[in-house]
Amino acid sequence: MPVCSFFLQGRCRYGDKCWNEHPRGGTRGGGYNDNRSSGQQQSRGGGGGFGNRVWVNPSQQKGAYIQPSSFSSHGSDDWGRGGGGSDWGRGGGGGRRDNLKSSEFSFSSQNKFSALGTSNTFDRGGRGGGSGGVSAGDEDDDKKLEIIQMDMDIWESSGQWGFSCYSSFKTPLSGFTDLSPEELRLEYYSTRASGDLQGYLNGVNQLLSQWKNRVQELKIMNPATRAALLAELNGAAPQASSVSFGSTTGSGFGSSMSSFGNKDFGAPAQARSFSFASSPGFGSSAAPSSSSSGFGNTLAAPTQPPSGFGGSSAPSSTSAASSFSFAAASTDKPAAASGFGSASGFSFSSTANAGGGFGATAGSSSAFGQTSGGFGATPAAAAGAGSAAEASDGLFSPESKLTQDELNQFKAKRFTLGQIPLKPPPANMLMV
Amino acid sequence: MSLFGTSSGFGTGGTGVFGSTTTDSHNPMKDVEVTSPPDDSISCLAFSPPTMPGNFLIGGSWANDVRCWEVQDNGQTVPKAQQMHTGPVLDACWSDDGSKVFTASCDKTAKMWDLNSNQAMQIAQHDGPIKAIHWIKAPNYSCIMTGSWDKTLKFWDTRSPNPMMSLQMPERCYCADVVYPMAVVATAERGLIVYQLENQPSEFRRIDSPLKHQHRCVAIFKDKQNKPTGFALGSIEGRVAIHYINPPNPAKDNFTFKCHRSNGTNTTTPQDIYAVNAISFHPVHGTLATVGSDGRFSFWDKDARTKLKTSEQLDQPITACCFNHNGNIFAYASSYDWSKGHEYYNPQKKNYIFLRNAAEELKPRNKKW
Repeated sequence: MPVCSFFLQGRCRYGDKCWNEHPRGGTRGGGYNDNRSSGQQQSRGGGGGFGNRVWVNPSQQKGAYIQPSSFSSHGSDDWGRGGGGSDWGRGGGGGRRDNLKSSEFSFSSQNKFSALGTSNTFDRGGRGGGSGGVSAGDEDDDKKLEIIQMDMDIWESSGQWGFSCYSSFKTPLSGFTDLSPEELRLEYYSTRASGDLQGYLNGVNQLLSQWKNRVQELKIMNPATRAALLAELNGAAPQASSVSFGSTTGSGFGSSMSSFGNKDFGAPAQARSFSFASSPGFGSSAAPSSSSSGFGNTLAAPTQPPSGFGGSSAPSSTSAASSFSFAAASTDKPAAASGFGSASGFSFSSTANAGGGFGATAGSSSAFGQTSGGFGATPAAAAGAGSAAEASDGLFSPESKLTQDELNQFKAKRFTLGQIPLKPPPANMLMV
Repeated sequence: MSLFGTSSGFGTGGTGVFGSTTTDSHNPMKDVEVTSPPDDSISCLAFSPPTMPGNFLIGGSWANDVRCWEVQDNGQTVPKAQQMHTGPVLDACWSDDGSKVFTASCDKTAKMWDLNSNQAMQIAQHDGPIKAIHWIKAPNYSCIMTGSWDKTLKFWDTRSPNPMMSLQMPERCYCADVVYPMAVVATAERGLIVYQLENQPSEFRRIDSPLKHQHRCVAIFKDKQNKPTGFALGSIEGRVAIHYINPPNPAKDNFTFKCHRSNGTNTTTPQDIYAVNAISFHPVHGTLATVGSDGRFSFWDKDARTKLKTSEQLDQPITACCFNHNGNIFAYASSYDWSKGHEYYNPQKKNYIFLRNAAEELKPRNKKW
């Protein structure tokens, strides 16, 4: 058979029905198959942006080709045949999309991964994102958000590692913490050695629930989330959610980092250094809405007490105790998240815009270097404590500037979803 | 008959090497088991370079030790030596002459292990656990590169306690690979930086990650002229991206593929997606192997964009893999990778390292012209 010159250019209209030879491994220019059930480029179905790849309907496939995974209904075990690599596809398009029913998702919290039970569909928004053809600019914002929603479904149902950052259309989305399994494992080993496994468990559960909440939020996509997401995708507000665990036992992870100025790499002004808390004050803090009195021995983070958490962590890069905190970056001012000696606590803040289930804060903690006022006994002022004395404008709002609703929210035991104030609380409302 | 030579009946070699378990899913591929495996999860494997006769395998583990085995031609493995750190060992590599092994650990130090004298001395210090360690051999210098969770990449002359150079990274180092003159480091928050090592190491380019999720492993591949030309990047989301540094047509040449996912034929049940724990390129054929949390390994041909083989599922995740210098042996380690958290961690469960004849299975797919 003569070789199909259109196929070599990547534009054979007949695809598998072509009478000419389509050399496998030749130019993967991509023959578009018009019968693709997933439909057009831009629409859902993962077609978006796969301009240059071979999308051949697997049902028509004679097996001579590499089947792009997005459309293959066969599993990946097809290695016997030469072309059986059914997982290949550029940008990793998703599979055929059936009806997505959010109602089918449910999670229990017993085993953290049993929550990721089976539900329908999968793999659709799996765009690798790395392709020029993605043409994010062409798609509707709606489509983008849909893709995000679908990615969340897949993430939830697939049992994959939850403590991972996530990005869509080249923009990393806030609200996800990036933790490798090794870091978690090291934490476990350290706390096991020190005897305080409970701290680790609490820490992990905290992270897990934060992740679940965030995924739920993105799946449900209420208007507030939608707005926040679009802002992020279009490069506006830098946001990051934060979790911090303080530790007294000194199981530490690296020291904090400073902001990413570079958009490519993530929300700016995230600070993190990681360790799990060992304070018994944690016991009561499993729910994000517990009052900060649960942290008997913690000093409240002057930056943000979301729903009454006195967050504190004892970051110290030098001494053994180091802390993990990610704080939400406010658009104006980075503030120190915490710096406390022996106290340990959870401080949880997420972006106000996201309207997530956590307290809203505006402080960010990139300025770990800001030390002022002695917090904590240890020289762990490496993590710059923003002391109450430091209550500058960027950190807290004077009461006069807050509306009555906002004040009520701060006063309440827990924030009401959807009414979480966007401004930082007044300094005097922090429980210290 | 040499089991590790070229085309041997490898399948038959497994009779006496391990027990007579029949439906034993710890080794469904019936590969050779390495004797005296570590007591905790294996974090890294590396074979000796061609400058040394024979094949020696080192493996670092979460039991704080790094062990060395000699792999003989008949497939027998002989434990030779081991060294300890004070924290779990995360990475290890050989020097180019095969006389030294460098090990990196969570105890924030890296050590140089002289195999002849069986002495180890500390050569590097970081502020956080060291996740990646590689030996760099340049015409005008040689050094060790260490990437750590303290967000720095440091270069050490083994004779001096201070680093020759320290480069700041945007985030914690998750994995790295070095093929002179190129080095690639993948960090947290989807960071991806390429360094060029000629003269002295310097940052060459920061790359927008082609993947959406956390980076897990990276491996550099070479072109037909044996020059490094790109890398494969694996993530926790069952996906590997093949990325060329300077491709003629980036949109076409760079691509990603899905792997280590459960059977997705049934569209009504969601796929299980597993992390890709390690990627290794065959030194001769240029094909690659990936191992994942699903307990399988797969061989791929990136040029033909096909899958060559997927293994049966082991009962534990596969955490590390490597090829020996001539590509005849593929070693992979079966141990828990923490992908499901501490609840699934069973300290009593035995960890394995398997050796497989890789001469035939990794041949690139012939083009059907």
